[in-house]
Amino acid sequence: MTILASPDMESRWLQMPAIHVEGLVKVYGGRRVLDGVGLDIQEGEFYALMGPNGSGKTTLASIIAAVRTQDSGVVDVHGKKPALARGLIGYVPQESFSSTELSARENLTYFARLLGYSRSQAEQLTVEMLERVGLSQDLGKRVGEYSGGMRKRLEVATAMFPGTRVLILDEPTTGLDPGARRSFFGMLQEKVDKNTTILLVTHIGSDAELASRVGLIDNGRIIAEGTPDELKRKYAVEDAITVETAAKTEGVVSVLKGFDVGGEVAELEAGYRVYSRNGDRVLADMVRTLDQAGYRVLRIEMGRPTLEDVFFRLTQKTLQGVTG
Amino acid sequence: MGQILAAYSRGLKEAIRDKASLFWTMSWPLIWLIIAALTFVGDVPQEVVPYVRASMTVSMMVFALMIAGMSHLPAGIAWDRKNGLFAKLKSMPIEPYRDFIGRVSAVGTFALLAAAVVLVLGFALGARFTGSGVAIPQAIGFLLLTIVASAGVGLIVGTLIRKPQGAVTTGVAIAVILAALSGVFAPADLLPAPLQVFARVYPISSARTSIVYLLVGPDAVGYNPLTSGQITLTVTLSFALLLVGTLLYSKRGWSLE
Repeated sequence: MTILASPDMESRWLQMPAIHVEGLVKVYGGRRVLDGVGLDIQEGEFYALMGPNGSGKTTLASIIAAVRTQDSGVVDVHGKKPALARGLIGYVPQESFSSTELSARENLTYFARLLGYSRSQAEQLTVEMLERVGLSQDLGKRVGEYSGGMRKRLEVATAMFPGTRVLILDEPTTGLDPGARRSFFGMLQEKVDKNTTILLVTHIGSDAELASRVGLIDNGRIIAEGTPDELKRKYAVEDAITVETAAKTEGVVSVLKGFDVGGEVAELEAGYRVYSRNGDRVLADMVRTLDQAGYRVLRIEMGRPTLEDVFFRLTQKTLQGVTG
Repeated sequence: MGQILAAYSRGLKEAIRDKASLFWTMSWPLIWLIIAALTFVGDVPQEVVPYVRASMTVSMMVFALMIAGMSHLPAGIAWDRKNGLFAKLKSMPIEPYRDFIGRVSAVGTFALLAAAVVLVLGFALGARFTGSGVAIPQAIGFLLLTIVASAGVGLIVGTLIRKPQGAVTTGVAIAVILAALSGVFAPADLLPAPLQVFARVYPISSARTSIVYLLVGPDAVGYNPLTSGQITLTVTLSFALLLVGTLLYSKRGWSLE
């Protein structure tokens, strides 16, 4: 499933972007966390920013969300500096910021009141929004008693008040079970349908696959950008083979390198990932060679490359959570 | 105004529901009051005991306010920073000073509730107060000054100590050490000479002495804290602490850099 841009989005792309970033630099302790980042996200677009921990993606999102300031470069949100566009931005940081001592209703009412809604408006909106995120049955329950997924849904709701035109979500699916994840992306689809711009920060390829456009970030630079299909076609045309052996050793890597199109092997939590142009022909040969070298193969499977594979092909680095 | 009320309501609900704050701000002073009122009056003539207990009650009310301002307030700030609430708030159209007013008002209300509970226990233990009429609102004024000064220290601690546990520990340590050194736990005239000077300068100790002077009587304190010079010093230093805390919090409290 790819979440599509709203129907009239294309014509709007000719207009001013919802998010414009140019030559953005941020330095922490002498290290350039962002090193001249440039990015344009159009109104109504669902854009995923994907990269490993420490790549600069959270810093970039927080600067766009007016939480941090850049050392140099330009950031505009609907033509305004982020600090002046706060009323348009709905931001969900990575951390769980809702109060565990308050109920979901009290938490959400607090944020509605901060946004300027009167008490009665805030209470009414809160009930509506908790219903939309599927928490209406538990609205009076203390958030401390919520599961991680319920809490995340509540926190996403704090960014979805009417008037939000840019939604910035930092690793929002961490801890969500598959059902909660599906309903979460369903919610995002509704926002896209209403022409809300979404910037999703993630290190999970399957989340980024649902975006209309993906930017891969590494070492503070956007290293590739395009639709998920474009990226896979351009950078990962090969078959992706996942191999799990009884032991993980340098010897296994050495054997597998001989089968990889680029001579590089991605190490996964359990096993390895190898890229080949002729996967179906190579499989049997790979098992036989490993076996002859004394490495027992527990599992081997071949699939289409993912965005994580694209990232590896570009950087020779794996993203946390890469799976076969 | 809605933003201030939102921050106030959130802060007060959290304080009342959080077991750690309830313990440190309410239970701890209550425990100390029970211990002090029942054990430290052995050598005191029987007819004086109710006034000694009244003096102890005032001390523990002030101590509750100190703990609320110096420990609960910075702990809340440090937790909210760690949990990403300030990151969330920075992305929203709210100014730090509004959050600050709501937050400090909530802590002040919570502190006054704690002080009221201590007062009730003091009465139950036999404390007797002599002050009446204008002395009562004056004493309440000094209680509020205690909150002002404690909140000032709390804002400084909460801004400078970034880790929640560190903020709690530092706040409690400052409250206990300053209270002990400045005569909050004992009459100032029993302190060594240098600390007697400190007791008059430290606004919270001076405010406590003023409350005891007003509600228990001049014999319960070692000096007259209600001279215009002493009152001016107490008021000025209390608000100076709050001002420094406010400036620091406004500039650095929400900073994530």
